[in-house]
Amino acid sequence: MSPDPDDDGWPARFEAELVRLGQHPARARALAQESVDQAVEAGSDADRLLGPPHLYARHLVSELNDVPAPPGVGGPPAPGRVLLRLADVGKRYRRRVVLAGVDLTVRAGEVAAVVGANGCGKSTLLRICAGLTRPTSGTVERTRRVGLVPQDGGTAPWLTAAEHFTLFGAAAGLAPRRARSTGEHLAARLSWRPAAGQPAQDLSGGTRQKLNLVLGELHSPDLLLLDEPYQGFDQGTYLDFWRQVVAWRDAGRGVVVVTHLLHDLRHVDQVLDLGSRPGARVAAVAR
Amino acid sequence: MVTSRPWLHGFLDLCLLAMLGERSDYGYGLSQRLAAAGVADVPGGTLYPALLRLEQQGLVEPHWAASGSGPRRKYYALTAAGHTALAEQGADWRRFRDGIDALVGTPVEGSAR
Repeated sequence: MSPDPDDDGWPARFEAELVRLGQHPARARALAQESVDQAVEAGSDADRLLGPPHLYARHLVSELNDVPAPPGVGGPPAPGRVLLRLADVGKRYRRRVVLAGVDLTVRAGEVAAVVGANGCGKSTLLRICAGLTRPTSGTVERTRRVGLVPQDGGTAPWLTAAEHFTLFGAAAGLAPRRARSTGEHLAARLSWRPAAGQPAQDLSGGTRQKLNLVLGELHSPDLLLLDEPYQGFDQGTYLDFWRQVVAWRDAGRGVVVVTHLLHDLRHVDQVLDLGSRPGARVAAVAR
Repeated sequence: MVTSRPWLHGFLDLCLLAMLGERSDYGYGLSQRLAAAGVADVPGGTLYPALLRLEQQGLVEPHWAASGSGPRRKYYALTAAGHTALAEQGADWRRFRDGIDALVGTPVEGSAR
């Protein structure tokens, strides 16, 4: 007899929904356990006491997110240590100047957006941030644990999602089981449940981007570098993606996201506008 | 007897702080004290998020204690910031209550209830 997929119980579904809403897995687990205890002490079951798991999860998360954090207690940490610092960075290919005089500092708990017209050097800048491309001039300091999600993807067409998790996890020193379960957790946050046995080449463009995003985060980097990671996302996934960016920030990570969509910018702390010509300007925006 | 009107909205935090100011307690204990005071039957789905919120705001502090039977219980106690919030919100409440009393007036002696 096969297990009923709906029958994995209130705590499991509550926990999964909390994770999907951007709660840290460990926190979600603790909250689920607490809810079970509360039901027992009230002599009831969780569904009767607290309501359906997915609705209670949303209610709880919105209650907790509305809290103005008092200084030093809970909430998103104030911007912290520097995770990335570019000083007067320039890049030339032969005679052609791609970047000049770029300054960018990203601290823990900050989101920086890199905007500008096509061909202004956004992707080159991200590769410099990641250490994949050497700048011609200037200095780059970065934290050790960096995750990069390239625009054109780094997935192998014939491997399944689970095999990607295992492979990328191994590169980060994760045991296969742990890599797979972490990958599945992260995928669930993007409302994606990888199908067993399906090679990456059979995934839709949007889903392949989700795979890229999961792989970029699999090793819990402190700094995430994202190159327009939402190509092909539908609206719901797009919102999940930005919720995820905010959750990363609130968890004290740094995020650099290359984007051309200006309405994304309300989620970010600073904007680096590369414009259409070499020479950079930084504008701070209110959160 | 518990009032059926949704008056508690907006005052649940104050009630929780006041009860915890008296003594530390766990979730189900607090819901029983609210009911016994005739204030409200607060659903668990309202009560527990409110407690977590107070915890996140640093107004209450949890500690775990074994119970005679069943799982360990999460007890909450007021922090120093919680005492300050209780004093402030309590003063707000008394001003509000006095205002309502002034508008509604006092019941005529001997009127039926």
